[in-house]
Amino acid sequence: MALETTVEQVDARVPLTVIALVGELDASNFEALIETARQHYEAGTRSLLLDLTDLTFMASSGLVALHSIVRIMHGEAPPDPEAGWSALHATAGAGSQREVQLCAPQPAVERVLARTGLDRLFVVHPDRSSAIAAI
Amino acid sequence: MEHVHPLDDIRLEPLLAPFATLAPRVVVTIEDVDGAVLASSGAPDVDAASDGSTHAIDVAGTLVGRVVVRGTSPDAPLLAAAGATLARAIGALLEHVANERHEAAGAAARRIESELAHGRRLQRSFVSLVAPETPGYDIASHYEAAREVGGDFFDLFRLRRRGRPLSVVIADVTGKGIAAALLMAFSRPLLHAAIDHTKGPGEALTRTNLILVEERRSSLFITALVARLDLPTGHLRFANAGHEPPIFVPGDGSPATLVLGSGPLIGAFADLVLPECAVDLRPGDMLVLYTDGVTDARSPSGERFEEGRLFAAIAASRDGSAGDVVQAIAGAVAVFAGRAEPADDITIVAIRRLPLRP
Repeated sequence: MALETTVEQVDARVPLTVIALVGELDASNFEALIETARQHYEAGTRSLLLDLTDLTFMASSGLVALHSIVRIMHGEAPPDPEAGWSALHATAGAGSQREVQLCAPQPAVERVLARTGLDRLFVVHPDRSSAIAAI
Repeated sequence: MEHVHPLDDIRLEPLLAPFATLAPRVVVTIEDVDGAVLASSGAPDVDAASDGSTHAIDVAGTLVGRVVVRGTSPDAPLLAAAGATLARAIGALLEHVANERHEAAGAAARRIESELAHGRRLQRSFVSLVAPETPGYDIASHYEAAREVGGDFFDLFRLRRRGRPLSVVIADVTGKGIAAALLMAFSRPLLHAAIDHTKGPGEALTRTNLILVEERRSSLFITALVARLDLPTGHLRFANAGHEPPIFVPGDGSPATLVLGSGPLIGAFADLVLPECAVDLRPGDMLVLYTDGVTDARSPSGERFEEGRLFAAIAASRDGSAGDVVQAIAGAVAVFAGRAEPADDITIVAIRRLPLRP
């Protein structure tokens, strides 16, 4: 149940941090991924691309991670199960949130995103290079 | 875990203070098994190479260090005896400290275990329930708690309105542990009340989402499917908030299919608008509901159970009762995962409309 991340800083039109997720995102590691994103936000990242090419599985806790990362990149307080935070407004669809974008989800991951409605939170690019060109 | 030398458990210097005062021409050191000096009585002018005596420090029969007495003194035999006594005293002290720590750790572990066991019992009391009367239907369920407290729940009850339709709820709070269990305990009656006081499943989920988002500000999500079954006609309306799609198993033997149609899960967006879908259960038809504890179950080699194995388990048991189908799925997951307790809660509900008597 391992998840590895590799990070690349790219000079697209805006400075872009690309985090590639390799492996499975589930209850055992979603908090670590949120922490990774927070560290990048604190280090100055304001535009984040999650490369899902090698993400073979995403459990529902992975959705919590994606949602949390959007909140972090919006500059909101860190997620704390005790304190909590409000849900995103429905208007925060693909058109209004561009701080975190996704690319290359495998069909299994894409299905989870679609079924749970989290797909509308993200601009999803077909692959890494077209994502970098578009961002 | 970082290795800590047993001799680090106690302060050694005060033990050597009497030697520094009473025998200034002798140096007494406490050393670890490799001869590294951990504490010394001082007296740097003493010839370290001079004669002395060495006394083993044992804890429960294991050598953990030595007391070494060096230097010349007319009281050498007495000092050697004092060194031996000190070594025994340190050994006894270490053993005492270790026992106390062991007992404290054991008590803490027992306390946590009893809290968790209590949590699991509490959770079962939320989940297991007296099945309502459902004439013309065979309904079975299976709920299995994860080792850590998980967040599944389901609910079956007859609505207090015309025709007394059957309400079916299956839900899963994302995440595990106490936070998920508490949100589950809070959400179940909330959802129940929302179903009682709204026109349909979609509206019930919208209202539940609103309350959870505005009042709880929770950072956890809930996937939930709410269905309303009109028992005489078999007409089942449902709304699905990000939950696993149910499986429709036709009574005529044709292939089982996923019943798609869902919207966002509860807790992610401020306003939740869900499509309302419908399935008609004819006599003999069955609907199977489940949580991701089934499809996400992981084998020792790292494979996931997934929908394919779920369909296979249903295909092998669909001619039996609802209970047979539920047990076939639960059994297949258990064999696949190959361990006593599941990693996540597992909930399975099968609803079969009984075939008409010939």
